[in-house]
Amino acid sequence: MELLLANHSSYPRIGDAAGQQRLRRAYAQHERGEITAQEFEKIQTSMIQEIVQEQASAGFDLVTDGQIRWYDPISHFAGRLDGVKINGLLRFFDTNFYIRQPVVVDRISWKGPILVEEYRSAQAVSPKPVKVTLTGPYTLGRFSILESSRYRDLPELVADYTEALMKEVEALVGAGAALIQVDEPSMLHHPGDAGLVKVALTRIESRKGSARLLLATYFGDAAPLYEVLQGFPVDALGFDFTYSHGLSDLIARLGSDKAIAFGLIDGRNTRMERTEEVLPTLRKVAPKVKGSPSYLTSSCGLEYLPRDKAHLKLKQMAAVRAAFAGRG
Amino acid sequence: MSRTKLKSLGIELPIFPTSTVGSFPKPDYLVEARAKFAKKKIERKELEDLERQATAFWIRTQEDIGLDVLVDGEMYRGDMVAYFSELMPGFEQSGLVRSYGNRYYHKPIIVGEVKWPGSMTVGWWRYAQGLTKRPVKGMLTGPYTVMDWSFNEHYPDRRSACLALAREIRREVEALVEAGAKIVQIDEPALSVRPEELPFAIEAMHMVTDGLPAYFIIHACYGAFDKIYSQMLKLPVDNLDLAISHSTLNLMEMFRRDPFTKDLSVGVLDVHSHEVETPETVRARVEKALQLLPKESLWIDPDCGLKTRTIDEAKGKLINMMAAVKRLRAEAGAN
Repeated sequence: MELLLANHSSYPRIGDAAGQQRLRRAYAQHERGEITAQEFEKIQTSMIQEIVQEQASAGFDLVTDGQIRWYDPISHFAGRLDGVKINGLLRFFDTNFYIRQPVVVDRISWKGPILVEEYRSAQAVSPKPVKVTLTGPYTLGRFSILESSRYRDLPELVADYTEALMKEVEALVGAGAALIQVDEPSMLHHPGDAGLVKVALTRIESRKGSARLLLATYFGDAAPLYEVLQGFPVDALGFDFTYSHGLSDLIARLGSDKAIAFGLIDGRNTRMERTEEVLPTLRKVAPKVKGSPSYLTSSCGLEYLPRDKAHLKLKQMAAVRAAFAGRG
Repeated sequence: MSRTKLKSLGIELPIFPTSTVGSFPKPDYLVEARAKFAKKKIERKELEDLERQATAFWIRTQEDIGLDVLVDGEMYRGDMVAYFSELMPGFEQSGLVRSYGNRYYHKPIIVGEVKWPGSMTVGWWRYAQGLTKRPVKGMLTGPYTVMDWSFNEHYPDRRSACLALAREIRREVEALVEAGAKIVQIDEPALSVRPEELPFAIEAMHMVTDGLPAYFIIHACYGAFDKIYSQMLKLPVDNLDLAISHSTLNLMEMFRRDPFTKDLSVGVLDVHSHEVETPETVRARVEKALQLLPKESLWIDPDCGLKTRTIDEAKGKLINMMAAVKRLRAEAGAN
């Protein structure tokens, strides 16, 4: 099993060092109308360049733009679709992070590319391939308030979010994205809806062309769904091992036809995992995973950590991978 | 109702006892002083004098409005977890973490054995209680919430961190009770975030409250209340304070399935809205609760702390809440 280092998704956009506060200052200045949208964009791009470099220097094979331009993983998509307006704050799962909640007021439809320019701009400043992350249609549906009578239930709502994301995936593939991650954390809290997610992913998969599709699950135990997920139309499955204590045994026992994104490093706690804590799990499951390349990553996006700790987590993942490859 | 318990503690309250959840807005002079203190432009003594002045203002205001059980208003606190973690050995503050938009905060990190540093709230409770004859609640953040809102680099898992905190927080409760507090509120807004962890959250609450002579209230925003309701009844407290006025849950059905066995503080004011609820709105929310529980079991309060409102909004909301309660009391034949 080839094991690549892949950053999960988000990354802290500011740090405590003076120079790392520039985006926070610029955000406030932009809100007050003291700098133009172009000036703000320039600072966002410079921060993306900095964090892409941070990942590449740590040895990551696949980097992300850290979702630096996103307000949150829900409204960034939903708010850019027709038929959706954005409401007040809502806690994002059991984190201390808040998203703005979408309100579906009319038929949902895709207006045009949402992430394509973000992808191009990150790739332009990155020495490594950029992985793109989309929030999946089921999770978008779960976080939405339904006010439109056009939709009778969640499956109908998810179907139209899926339609929009199919177009987005097609646009991203056209722009050159080679690895597209679809995040569906909500599925783990409603395992009975896995079939609904599978239908959505089957439609999205039809637009992926030669790109690899990675389904990321986190903030819950994926073990009860493990066998079902093996039948999903994706190239790789991403798991949050901090919630799934029995998962590694399950993979070792049942194997995996798909590549796995091993979320073995806790993206929500500052404690640094030691290599010897993580390595046995990788060694145990590696012979049973047929899908390749697989990925070593964090349990979720790293934005729940302060910047200095997120950077250390990147370095620790690199140390684990080196040890796995026999170089540590 | 635990009215017998209150009576045994020497506290007589009218029907529909009124209170608030804890925090009030800080007056401008205190906001400015806190900013100056953070920049080391004033001494701690100067800040504390202003915190006392603001506490006295809120005690007077609560008395004027006619509330029955008062709070100190938390003029000395910033964040409800950071206040305790900054005082307790075993914690460090992390670098900045984003909560939403352009808002960032320093999240506590448990880096060693947590320890009770000596009283953290007793001085403020004594001061506030010394200003009024009405009972003032002791106010603490609970062990589960302190654990959940902190990083943990020391304890092997979340349960052991939570129980270690419970052991130390109990000492603060003991100190409050020893100082004379008869009513103690434990704030646990994180309680419902991971229903599978509720058993150890309850275990922790036993460690905090068991055997202590006080009337205990737990304040928990409802969150996944439907998933945890029946287990919440096992919490060793006398009163559950829940933000049920905005709940779309079928409480009637839940209460029928598992009869509610405690007193219920009914949150009737939306603390996230600028709108001052009319007495009629408050009354409708109380009546909704009266469909579920006998009047003897109900306390009336806002959904949460009022610190995010302006002083005028907070006062306006409480005045109307009290007006509604007075009418309900009159109709119930009590004053």
